[in-house]
Amino acid sequence: MAFHIKDFKTKFFELLPLLLLFFISLNGSSIINIKFFSVNIHYILVYYWVLRHPRSLGYGFIFLSGIISDVVLGFPLGINALSLLFVAGVAAYVRVVTVRITLINDWISFVPALLFANIVYFISLYLSDYSVDYFYLLKNSAFTLIFYPVLWGIFSLIINFSKS
Amino acid sequence: MDTSRDDVGISIRSAFLRKGTQQRFSLFALTVLSVLLIFLETIETKPLDRIRAFIKDTIFRGSLVASYPTKTVSSAYGFFERHINLYSEYNELIEENNKLKNNISKSDFLELENSQLRKLIEEQVSSPTNLVSSRVMLDKQSPYLNSFVINIGSNKNIKNGMTVLSGKYFIGRIVDVNYFSSRVLLVSDLNSKIPIITEPSGSHAILSGHGKNEPTLEYLPENHDIQNGDKIYTSGKEGIFNPGTPIGEAKVEKDQVTVSLFSNLDQITFVNIVLGEKEKKN
Repeated sequence: MAFHIKDFKTKFFELLPLLLLFFISLNGSSIINIKFFSVNIHYILVYYWVLRHPRSLGYGFIFLSGIISDVVLGFPLGINALSLLFVAGVAAYVRVVTVRITLINDWISFVPALLFANIVYFISLYLSDYSVDYFYLLKNSAFTLIFYPVLWGIFSLIINFSKS
Repeated sequence: MDTSRDDVGISIRSAFLRKGTQQRFSLFALTVLSVLLIFLETIETKPLDRIRAFIKDTIFRGSLVASYPTKTVSSAYGFFERHINLYSEYNELIEENNKLKNNISKSDFLELENSQLRKLIEEQVSSPTNLVSSRVMLDKQSPYLNSFVINIGSNKNIKNGMTVLSGKYFIGRIVDVNYFSSRVLLVSDLNSKIPIITEPSGSHAILSGHGKNEPTLEYLPENHDIQNGDKIYTSGKEGIFNPGTPIGEAKVEKDQVTVSLFSNLDQITFVNIVLGEKEKKN
């Protein structure tokens, strides 16, 4: 019995990032807005799990989640998927070139991921004839970067739980 | 230790082209697929439109189910908040009721005068438009796009560009039609530009959305005489919207004229869609 509970717990924690990913996109809550603050948890989730535990989050699922986000939020199909894949790409590159896992390393390497993703996002929206609030985009990127350590801590706890 | 150009190239190839542990697709293949999808969005053909409509309808249903927990939590929060604010709301309502009672006699007189004037210019008083009602299915307020999804689409003859009303007030237009659902772009969105006319000053302008902030009037004549409280109506100038649909009230602030909308866009559950003019019976 104890074995089954442990097995279930491990499976649950392994699937948790995937469940979160699809919940966020289906619920249309990839960006959390609280008054002036605005954080893109979708980017953080994808970046962290591709960097730290790529087995939990397949690229195919990330692509699908981006497509769902596009439909739910009303963007042309492929825009969110493309920017999420760029975040995943930078994370995969950083995983290849780094050896030590530290918050500071992750945090600094998250800057280019955000930059690439936002550039792709901006260019795709511009080409699709959508107006974008540039200030909002900047503010959102800044707060996403600032908020990264908080989610880094929570996700690290999830990984520890799944290992214990 | 220096990183050579070859090392960077190998790392990039490894990250983008190789399938990682337990990955079925490479990042490069999915990136190409995403770009292809963005490109396909610009092509409008019937088979593609049907596939898109099917995908969107399916995802909207899934989203509806996934948003039940958050909807339940937010409605419970709203329930408690309303109970906490009950006393102050009661006092406000008494005050409002007194004001309304005072205004009733004034409003009756204006209505009578209005109908007499309409008769005088032989205008048809009854509405000639054909409306269909719908429920808001998904209201995921994206920071980049102020829109919501309603539960009818081409199955009820909804078409792109149709006017959407909350009660009798203009709130937006249809921008995306699927078989069982459609997307409404609200007047507050950055991409929304509506030709309007002000009353009584009679100036033509474009009502332009700004996301979360109130929409403003653009392309106004230089020496306009718009005052606070002037009414804003659709002008019908571009031929898509019916003229004379009320939108809001003008607020003059320094060099800018903002519009306070008659409808609260955060509180909309049902909407009316103007299908077009009813056929005249001879």
